[in-house]
Amino acid sequence: MTFRRLFLLAGTLFILLLGVYSWNQRTQALDTITTNVGLEAAGGILSGLRAVQDAVADIWSNYFALVDVRQENLSLKERVRDLEARLLAQGEALAELRRLRQLLQMPTDQAWRPVGARVLSGRLGPNGVLDSITINRGYATGGRPGTPLVTHLGLVGRVLRASAHNATALLLTDPSSRIAVLAQESRSSGILIGQGPGRDLEVSFMERGTDVAAGEILITSGLDGKFPKGIPVARVLSVAPSNYSQFLAIQAEPLVDLRHLEEVLMLEPTGVSVPNLPVGPPPVFVGPPAPGRAEPSVAPDGATSGPRLQPSR
Amino acid sequence: MSTFQECCWWLAFVMASIVAQALAPGLDALVVGILLLLQERNYKTLAWLLPIFIILQEGMGTRPFGGVLLWYLAVIASFKIGRWLFEVGNFVFIFLLSTCLGGAYFGLAWLLAPLQQTPAFDMNAMRDISLLQAVYMPLAWRILTLLRPGDRNDVSE
Repeated sequence: MTFRRLFLLAGTLFILLLGVYSWNQRTQALDTITTNVGLEAAGGILSGLRAVQDAVADIWSNYFALVDVRQENLSLKERVRDLEARLLAQGEALAELRRLRQLLQMPTDQAWRPVGARVLSGRLGPNGVLDSITINRGYATGGRPGTPLVTHLGLVGRVLRASAHNATALLLTDPSSRIAVLAQESRSSGILIGQGPGRDLEVSFMERGTDVAAGEILITSGLDGKFPKGIPVARVLSVAPSNYSQFLAIQAEPLVDLRHLEEVLMLEPTGVSVPNLPVGPPPVFVGPPAPGRAEPSVAPDGATSGPRLQPSR
Repeated sequence: MSTFQECCWWLAFVMASIVAQALAPGLDALVVGILLLLQERNYKTLAWLLPIFIILQEGMGTRPFGGVLLWYLAVIASFKIGRWLFEVGNFVFIFLLSTCLGGAYFGLAWLLAPLQQTPAFDMNAMRDISLLQAVYMPLAWRILTLLRPGDRNDVSE
């Protein structure tokens, strides 16, 4: 092959690539196809292998690893007693919480339905540059793009791309992750930004003068419309005034161990809209009359009483 | 090897590669299959297997479509250039090619990061993955040539 032919071939390929790339950027047709086919196939293979792994692990744990069962049984009984005692102690607190919720007319959030999902792997392949995980639920099984992911400890991230039965979820540590948060005690709001895997998170746009302290928990504020309000996200590690802006420089760490995830809960939107305002008419305002509408009352002797204006000097 | 055996072999290869990729985030384990097919001059199999590899990798990833296509084109072009200079069945050739491809892997990721609006390109992490890729390829190639049935390795031109 001559140099001229090679040059022509390379040029044609380059133009073709650019054309395909631009067309896909506009239509996202190839992204959809590859996600539906590639992710589904890879997820299927990984799910199958996980099932085999589980079966082997079950056989091992049920038939071979029975050596410590008696000891474990004793410790579990002790733990059950301990938990029962704690449950009794917490019963009163739970009843109080119910009463307070009723008092505040705070409806239970029915807008989100939790759905369990299994983590199949971390990020996959040369194209997996974002900090992400692959889970075994897709748009047909409750994992549409944007669906929040949580564990019992707190927020994990949200679904980025989904095929029918598998999805790729963006973790909150990825630099492209932005979450509107609220400090749990001081109620200051900010934006939580990922800094990459294994690195601390950064909270931006939290105003100076707020009482945020190290150790405080950050929860989702729900202001971004992507996550339900009140999910614990991170713990504040350090607070200092920023050298570059009028806001605080806050470092935080995720509450969930994102490197060792096995199962997650997906919060699927139910379509039920929960009103933020209390139900019913607003309470009747009881207080002193407005100054402009104050009318002096006349006493029986003809003297007036009530608010008087001071003469100007 | 019959067509059925060939399909089974490649299916097993794809499954093993996906497991390897799940264990080592960022690694491209399927690329060794392309090297094997190029070495064997088995272009017929490459013609149907390459699109499958591209679809799988693009589907599993998080970047917009295009990165894997460029990466595999770079692999094929590097192999073709190397074939002019070296004997392709030689381990040294694969070692040198893997080193070059490790660099190409880093270069492509760096090039595509601003184009695909990757918010923060982590140089150190990508360097580690590229090194892993460069080390993985000759080792996997050696194991796969031993496992591949029949004597189909290419004789140098």
